[in-house]
Amino acid sequence: MRKITLTTFIILAVIMSVFVTGVMAQEQGGTLVFGRGGDSVGLDPIQVTDGESFKVTQQIYDTLVDYKPGTTEVEPALATDWKVSEDGLTWTFNLREGVEFHDGNPFNAEAVKWNFDRWRLEDHPYHIGGEFTYYGYMFKGFPGVIQEVNVVDEYTVEFVLSEKQAPFLNNLAMVPFGIASPEAVKKYGENYFKNPVGTGAYTLEEWRQGDRIILKANENYWRERAYLDKIVFRSIPDNSARYMELQAGSIDMMDGVSPEDVESVKDSDQLKLSLRPSMNVGYFAMNFKFEPFDDVRVRRAFNHAIDKQAIIDAFYAGLAEPAKNPMPPSIWGYNEDIEPYEYNPEKAKKLLAEAGYPDGFEFDLWYLPVPRPYIPQGKFIGQAIQSYLSEIGVTANLVTYDWATYLDKTEHQEAPTYMLGWTGDNGDPDNFLYVLLDKTNSNNAYESEELHKVLVEAQKTMDHDRRVELYMEAQEIIHKDAPWVPLVHSTPPIALKSKVQNYIPNPTGTEKLHRVWLEE
Amino acid sequence: MSDKNKVMKKNTNPWFEAWRRLLQSKIGIAGLGIIVFLIVVAALAPVLAPYDPIKTDILARYRAPSSEHLLGTDGLGRDILSRIIYGSRISLQVGLLSVALALVFGVSFGLIAGFYGGKLDMAIMRFMDIMLAFPSILLAIGIVAILGPQLKNAMIAIGIINVPRFARIVRSSVLSIKESEYISAARALGAGDLRIIFKHLLPNAMAPLIVQTTLSIATAILEAAALSFLGLGAQPPSPEWGAMLSDARSSLQKAPWVATFPGLAIIFGVLGFNLLGDGLRDALDPKMKNV
Repeated sequence: MRKITLTTFIILAVIMSVFVTGVMAQEQGGTLVFGRGGDSVGLDPIQVTDGESFKVTQQIYDTLVDYKPGTTEVEPALATDWKVSEDGLTWTFNLREGVEFHDGNPFNAEAVKWNFDRWRLEDHPYHIGGEFTYYGYMFKGFPGVIQEVNVVDEYTVEFVLSEKQAPFLNNLAMVPFGIASPEAVKKYGENYFKNPVGTGAYTLEEWRQGDRIILKANENYWRERAYLDKIVFRSIPDNSARYMELQAGSIDMMDGVSPEDVESVKDSDQLKLSLRPSMNVGYFAMNFKFEPFDDVRVRRAFNHAIDKQAIIDAFYAGLAEPAKNPMPPSIWGYNEDIEPYEYNPEKAKKLLAEAGYPDGFEFDLWYLPVPRPYIPQGKFIGQAIQSYLSEIGVTANLVTYDWATYLDKTEHQEAPTYMLGWTGDNGDPDNFLYVLLDKTNSNNAYESEELHKVLVEAQKTMDHDRRVELYMEAQEIIHKDAPWVPLVHSTPPIALKSKVQNYIPNPTGTEKLHRVWLEE
Repeated sequence: MSDKNKVMKKNTNPWFEAWRRLLQSKIGIAGLGIIVFLIVVAALAPVLAPYDPIKTDILARYRAPSSEHLLGTDGLGRDILSRIIYGSRISLQVGLLSVALALVFGVSFGLIAGFYGGKLDMAIMRFMDIMLAFPSILLAIGIVAILGPQLKNAMIAIGIINVPRFARIVRSSVLSIKESEYISAARALGAGDLRIIFKHLLPNAMAPLIVQTTLSIATAILEAAALSFLGLGAQPPSPEWGAMLSDARSSLQKAPWVATFPGLAIIFGVLGFNLLGDGLRDALDPKMKNV
């Protein structure tokens, strides 16, 4: 699999060098129609958690710092530079001058403070319209670790933290923390999610809910004006229907390409394939609340029973690599030395027998009802796992629910075993290990004190090398406890018409499109 | 003279008469043939199917039809022919059981409403009207959503949505003969309600009921396939035809045979019961008698 990643890099490098040398001239204008699997939930980024919303808010808003295209490395955006105090508790940001929100109001330190106060203070008059979920996730509740936000002068803002937070800067670059116009939030109140006002490259022209969102270029953008005049995000839930539209030419690009269609994209003269750098995990989790999954031997047996490589060859068009850790190798701190549970049904049977189940048992296996980038064909993969498990004498009954119910029920630990996955938000190991497996967050009642101690220490440690050590250790603990069968780290494919230029997919799952242009 | 003799010898049982006329209609024969074929296939599935219908082989996905796999393989490398053969069991079972359920409740409601009339009739039939006001598949989806997505529940849902049709048919035929003289005569001779209902009213409703039952089996098969297509009926890896179609969606361009053959199987099954229904309607029509 490493071969594919390498080729991808080479291709990317070649494409990049073409741009750098300026062989092709970028063209201004045109409309890009982006086909995707669902509509946005809302356009107030702090109130949503779904990728379909972030895809759009990313174009409308800017964050203090941003990720360099195609990476999770932090670069300046609305903040031009920053410094952190010796004790790691005070962060000072110098802000970009002369930036305006779409409604003409100035962007300054007051606006930044207002946004953060709105997010973190539950008694703030505009702490309304939702639950501010991502703020709670990343900064541990309300007001969380950000104790104070102070306006130093018009273009300087200072954050005082209650405890050290190593991924602080990376967190600030996340899409949910886009800075909104305070005047617009006040004006629209509960309806702000339909009337977004940011500083981004595009403004909202029209939102036909359930159908499409139309954005138009912001003429006063503080970076260079976007090449495209308009972007239309169309919701086409069915993957094959969306692909047919792409072939018919009614959309210009799409994500969620079904692995079945990858070959056909590659063969087409009209289309090309772009690969999103892998920063996700698809996994099969076993819930400790349900017997016999509280027995580590059973969980290890399952780990030995499933042939991940065969699943990848069959259901990912090869665009994935088998997972042995809960986080992907593209994240720093990845533990290479973990010896994966190899595919070995005999060993699995022996482990089951040791655990007291020589004749197997019966249980419910929840499979994903919708295609996700990390598990594009949930029903097929569910059936493949079912059939692998039947080989070690275990009977899995396949169960599923509609997507919202599925998420809700798994979050409430109601699923005995389930398939799910995660796409990283900010490139920090904390964003995988703590979010998914800490005892305060796990959906499968995995409550390891040992792991919790390590993860919390890693959050408070500023020294990078020490953090690497701690995350290595965390991965060892997880491997030993085997709360999941980590399945794959996928490389999600995106299909584009050949005329779409300079689209650089970001590992986080969404990216800004202001540098994309169309070749006529 | 010889003709007359034949007529004289002929069994005068009306059911035999209808059967004879069914066998004379090409449509009826075709329908009957298809159904008998389906029943045989379903009964002999383990003998006829060349492979295990749920055994996956993910290295042999999307094999085109060949001598090894006559109808090709699906997205999990399962033999489509074997799945269709086993699927006939599910479809027949759903068709028969759900219609049986509808029949029991529909006929009871119809008899009660038609025979007793008044407020009871009003209550039952308005309730049936309400059920008919919903698009039937939507109602079925609602019912399955409450009961949980399983084949068993899909059958119950399809049974429920078919109840009003049977209730209406039975009620109308009860109403049309309830006041006739022979019913009055039976009553005068001291026959009780139950005797009148089962001895006189129900047999008179039999002809339209049989036709409706046959046609309903066809729609029930279709509705079960639709529910399974939506993921609300048969759950994987069960080889239900509708579920097979749903699985084939993602590979329509790459492997069209995966969708084609289960689709044809559904058409075939539905066609069989529809043809038989048409044939029966002609055969049982009293106006056609002795034509």
